[in-house]
Amino acid sequence: MPWNRPLIIGIILLLLTLGWLRTNSGETEQVRRSQLMMGTIVEIVATGQDPDQLEAAIDEAFAEMARLDRLLSRHYQDSDVSRLSQSRKGGKVAPETAEVIALGLDVARHSKGAFDMTLGRLKALWDISQENPVIPKQEAIAEAMEGIGPRALSLEGLNLFKQSPQLMVDLGGIAKGYIVDRAIIVLKKHGINNGAVNAGGDMYLLGQHPEHPWRIGIQHPREQDGILATVQVRDKAVVTSGDYERFFEQDGHRYHHIFDPETGSSARGCQSATVITKSVALGDALATALFVLGPQKGLELLAEYPGSEGLIVAADGTLHPSTGWASYADSP
Amino acid sequence: MKTPWQVMTKGDWLIVLMLLGIAVAGIAWLAAAPKGTRVVVTSGNQTCFVAELDQSHSVDLDGPLGKTHLVIDETGAHVTSSPCPRKVCISMGPAKHSGDLLACVPNRIMVRIESPADENAPYDLLSR
Repeated sequence: MPWNRPLIIGIILLLLTLGWLRTNSGETEQVRRSQLMMGTIVEIVATGQDPDQLEAAIDEAFAEMARLDRLLSRHYQDSDVSRLSQSRKGGKVAPETAEVIALGLDVARHSKGAFDMTLGRLKALWDISQENPVIPKQEAIAEAMEGIGPRALSLEGLNLFKQSPQLMVDLGGIAKGYIVDRAIIVLKKHGINNGAVNAGGDMYLLGQHPEHPWRIGIQHPREQDGILATVQVRDKAVVTSGDYERFFEQDGHRYHHIFDPETGSSARGCQSATVITKSVALGDALATALFVLGPQKGLELLAEYPGSEGLIVAADGTLHPSTGWASYADSP
Repeated sequence: MKTPWQVMTKGDWLIVLMLLGIAVAGIAWLAAAPKGTRVVVTSGNQTCFVAELDQSHSVDLDGPLGKTHLVIDETGAHVTSSPCPRKVCISMGPAKHSGDLLACVPNRIMVRIESPADENAPYDLLSR
């Protein structure tokens, strides 16, 4: 029966086609996009089945981040932060701003002021970001520190109160983390269960990488191309604060952007502090506080936040992990 | 009555074997496809430069402040000069692992290392 031949060949072709379709159907897509915002690179990675859904989610996440940046950045004249700094007594703020400040005040209280959102004048005085930064005079530092501290700000509902008219609010140590957290909420709303939002190294890892748990490298604070450790995480924030990105050196001292509210100068107890915790905003604030407090007090503070772990590199280069750090450590 | 297999001629089997051969070769080709790690540079939101990481190269990248000089060598991709005030992009050092990012924020230049074979990378993202 001659028609059997094309039939058999046809069946084989059909099987090959089905096999091909089977291997390619349901393939996990990964979309990865980056933008420059908040003075750094923000990268969003999302994995799922539908590329259009992933693209739409990332678009909305970036839009939400841009909206919140306009609200929380001191670089915009009409932001909540700029309005608060210019006001004499404070004022009403957006719910998002209130949420950030409430979390920041909590960490400020727990850290006994090591994390401080009232250092705006001090940071402006030092202006580490300028091309040729200089060490300010001690009198100028003392003046910039007048009226700062955890009690200099208070929040009642959406109303923020300043104790001193010249106080400049600075959310630099927490706002970026909060904005990353909000981007993650947008991704989840779009049904994305696996992805990441990374703002200059402050990141949240949602679910897992397509093939394995997220593996995060921790920058070595003194080896430009070195990795201090790697951790494996899922549904966690990872944040590192270090003295190696924005600094200048003078008379053997390193002056960087993380300030000790006790001295008005760069904190000296650490080279870096990494925190793994439930949100990037909390991780951001805790990493700054740990850096300022140093290894011993820093780890004591971390113990007050259940589910948070950390790795502190002291000023002498010694490593100080929290008790549960090993559960995340991939290496060393 | 002959079974379908018995009516297959040598020519038919040849066609079947050729089809199978093409399928196997296709799978092998896909598995052995080149997995080069690439340096991808964007300026604004536009990709302006792409190069292989394992091939030495240097390039001037135009941004709103002027030219950012990027060098690709055995250490990775790194910025050697930039018109930006703080030179943070230079102090970031080389990027060489899949997922590594460099940026000159004032000059709107972004450098990313991309590799389809990131299973061998020591990490997925870098916290710094």
